[in-house]
Amino acid sequence: MRHDGTSETVPGRPTALRLRDVSADFGDEAGLRDVSFDVANAERFVIVGPSGAGKTTLLRAIAGLIPVTRGTVEIAGHDRTHLVPERRDAVYLHQTPLLFPHLDVFENVAFPLRVRGVAAAEIRSRVASVLDSVQLGAFATRPPHALSGGQRHRVALARAIVARPAVLLLDEPLSSLDPSLRVDVREVILGAAREYRLALVIVTHDLDDAALMGDRIGVLLEGRLKQVATPATLFAHPASLSIARLLAIPNEVRGVIEGERAFSSPLNEMPLISNSQNGSAIMVFRPDAVQIMPESADTAQCTGEIVEIRHRPQQTTVRVRVATRLGTIMIEAAIDAMSVPAIGTIVGLSIDARRVSVFADS
Amino acid sequence: MTVTDRRRTLALLGAALVATPVLLGVAYAAASAIGITGIGATGFSLTRLAHVLGERTVWRSVAWSIWVAGAATLLAVAAAACAAIIFGGRSVIDRTARALAIAPLAVPYVVAGALGLLILGQSGYLARLAYAWGWIASPNNMPALVYDTRGIGVILTLAWKEFPFLALVAFSLIAARGVALEETAHTLGAGRWATLSRVTWPLLWRGLLPAATAVFIFSMGNYEAAALLAPSDPLPLPMLTLERYFALDLSQRADAYVLTLAGLLIGLAAVGVHEWTRQHAELFDQ
Amino acid sequence: MDAAACGALRPVNSRAKSRFADVDAVARYFGLTALTISAIGPLVLLVLWSASGEWFFPALMPQRWSPDGWGWLFQSGDRVAVAVRNSVLLGIADGFIGCAIAFPIGRAISRLTGWRRYMAAAAVFSPVAAPPIALGIGIQYFLLRIGVGGTAVGVLLAHLVPTVGYLSLYFLSVFVVFDSKIEDEARTLGATSRQVLFYVTLPMMRRQVTEAVAIGFLISWAQYALTLTVGGGTVHTLPLEVFSYMRAGSGNFAASAALVMIVPPILALAAARYAAGRTVVSPV
Repeated sequence: MRHDGTSETVPGRPTALRLRDVSADFGDEAGLRDVSFDVANAERFVIVGPSGAGKTTLLRAIAGLIPVTRGTVEIAGHDRTHLVPERRDAVYLHQTPLLFPHLDVFENVAFPLRVRGVAAAEIRSRVASVLDSVQLGAFATRPPHALSGGQRHRVALARAIVARPAVLLLDEPLSSLDPSLRVDVREVILGAAREYRLALVIVTHDLDDAALMGDRIGVLLEGRLKQVATPATLFAHPASLSIARLLAIPNEVRGVIEGERAFSSPLNEMPLISNSQNGSAIMVFRPDAVQIMPESADTAQCTGEIVEIRHRPQQTTVRVRVATRLGTIMIEAAIDAMSVPAIGTIVGLSIDARRVSVFADS
Repeated sequence: MTVTDRRRTLALLGAALVATPVLLGVAYAAASAIGITGIGATGFSLTRLAHVLGERTVWRSVAWSIWVAGAATLLAVAAAACAAIIFGGRSVIDRTARALAIAPLAVPYVVAGALGLLILGQSGYLARLAYAWGWIASPNNMPALVYDTRGIGVILTLAWKEFPFLALVAFSLIAARGVALEETAHTLGAGRWATLSRVTWPLLWRGLLPAATAVFIFSMGNYEAAALLAPSDPLPLPMLTLERYFALDLSQRADAYVLTLAGLLIGLAAVGVHEWTRQHAELFDQ
Repeated sequence: MDAAACGALRPVNSRAKSRFADVDAVARYFGLTALTISAIGPLVLLVLWSASGEWFFPALMPQRWSPDGWGWLFQSGDRVAVAVRNSVLLGIADGFIGCAIAFPIGRAISRLTGWRRYMAAAAVFSPVAAPPIALGIGIQYFLLRIGVGGTAVGVLLAHLVPTVGYLSLYFLSVFVVFDSKIEDEARTLGATSRQVLFYVTLPMMRRQVTEAVAIGFLISWAQYALTLTVGGGTVHTLPLEVFSYMRAGSGNFAASAALVMIVPPILALAAARYAAGRTVVSPV
């Protein structure tokens, strides 16, 4: 896997979308700077980034809703950089489903076919089949305002599918939904993508959604695509400190790189996996890279006192205060939710060197 | 009684208070129309009512007023929609155009009527321009727009007078809705005309419906512009009403009350048509 | 005119040459021209007419200029001068009284929901929608009974009918978007409902109240039919003067009176737009 994300095209799997050095300006949000990536047919490509990074700008530039100042946008093998939106073959799905309020569900879904002049009989059968596939067959004559939030999302999705776009652009598709509905809509999107072999570009700031929906994830920071990787690679090996921070990795420990590829910090010393220049550096690791053990264990690299227990739906962690020669450091470590130690317990810590990323401290 | 109940009662009472003069007026007009009260009343009788409703003049007046108000409303709605579609953007030109469109917003009807006469009259400014361009040789060649049975002068004047109000509503509709729906239509494959005819216009006219209904009612009831520009046959309904009211023959006063009720009924009918259209045009509120 | 850079309703793609770019440019050019003529033309015409002494067909400019049309400005007691004074006083009274009555009514209606709000809104709309002639004739009997028929007070009461209706609707729309949570918060901070009104609601509504007074002024200012039917020809206001000069063929007098009539509306509109750009709580 190359980090520039340009080598994904597999023979027999033509590219749905290819961006080359795309730059764009837009309003208050950061513009785009030299963004390049490919999305293969039926591939799901997720863009993550903080708000203001240019995520929406990127989607709107692909859709042709804002002009591209430099670079090219190829859709289904054709350069469509300067085409108007309706001739691009890329459907843009707004964050909140924007249904036409004066049309019922059927007519909303039929819209792309009507504007293409498709025959009425064909419209009927195609709309009916798409509505069935999003389980809305019984709602064809409902007006949009009589639908629930999840149903509106499904209508918007059905309307996009019926247009048979080369690439479907989804802008924060789940962010306006409550947790139970998120799961529902996410599954509908993924199911439809599978069924219709859609290429998706999904923008989100939610890392769970990104990991669950993306074949690959691109990280957009300040208008630049900083890393493209599979979810597993990205979360294990963020390419930079700012990406690690975006991924909300809680443990950062300062230290120095000295001599032959070794990093020493107040906690421990360890070999470095990647090459780095000598000098001050920061090591970053996730809570599950830390193992908690009895204070006296031989493998303990340091000891500390548990000061806080954090219960989350997916993971339980403890915050451990470690006293070092250079002051106090807080470490967050994952534990088994079934056997939570008491606050105040003194424990030993061991950090798995293979799951640590070290970045030069700029 | 809870606080909510008391507030609710007060609110309904307040609303009723505002409507009281109208209700009183309707009650008095109704009573006068059937001879129960008023000058020269002789007790309950339907003769005046029947007489008025049997007059050809009255029906011509009603039909003429509906034609003029309807045509002026349609013209103003079309112009307002065009202005909103053409000048919905954010550039300086768009904003200037919008300011120009609503500038005559509060011009009184009587001034509009006076301008109609000065511009559209037989020797008005339009006729002078036509002469200057060599289209006509004398005022007599100018097609009659004023005092003309088709009411073109009144229609143009009322349309000009009501245009700023409808434009204001259309501008705010477009500004409030934003461009997201149009963008969605574009990415779904709709070109400019398809988007205009399938998204922008259907939403615009639905949004303009209440204001257009109000404009129709105002135009129907307007006296001063009609009095300055309309023909004497057929006489606009408000003029006919006032003519009967101030008639020397006091028995005609009852006619005025019948016509008053007729005017109110037409207004109510317009509201009814508005409601019916709203139901049947699937005016979906988001 | 740069069509591509402007319209909000078209896909923004600067380099994409739209098939309709030419149509756009033509529509915008003609649209702007028409709007300019519609807004400025009448004003220019009125100015010319008011200053003309002799202006016969087919002259495009007055053949003789004359200050006669404006003579009333310098003669107190002149018909037009009296009419101006009456109109101003009636308008001011109508604006303030109408606003004071309509404010609580519009606010109360905004708290209703469902069919109750619909019915209440319809009720307050009825005096606005009722044809002024019909309204005037209908209420004249009652105004005569309480002894104000044909007087300035009677005319004021008559003007208040549509004004209160219109301003109630105005305040209804204002309070529908007004977030009353801030009033609730003030109450939990210890303010009485009266204190909330004077220290929170009214200060926040200053622009709306000012605008409402201005609208009330304008409704009275433009009123013709009600004044005619209720005033019975004894209460002279500007619209009546414009009308009768127009009927009498005294174009220059009618034009100067008409110019005076459209000055307050233009000022009010400009002030409202200026204020709208400077406040957060704006009416629908």
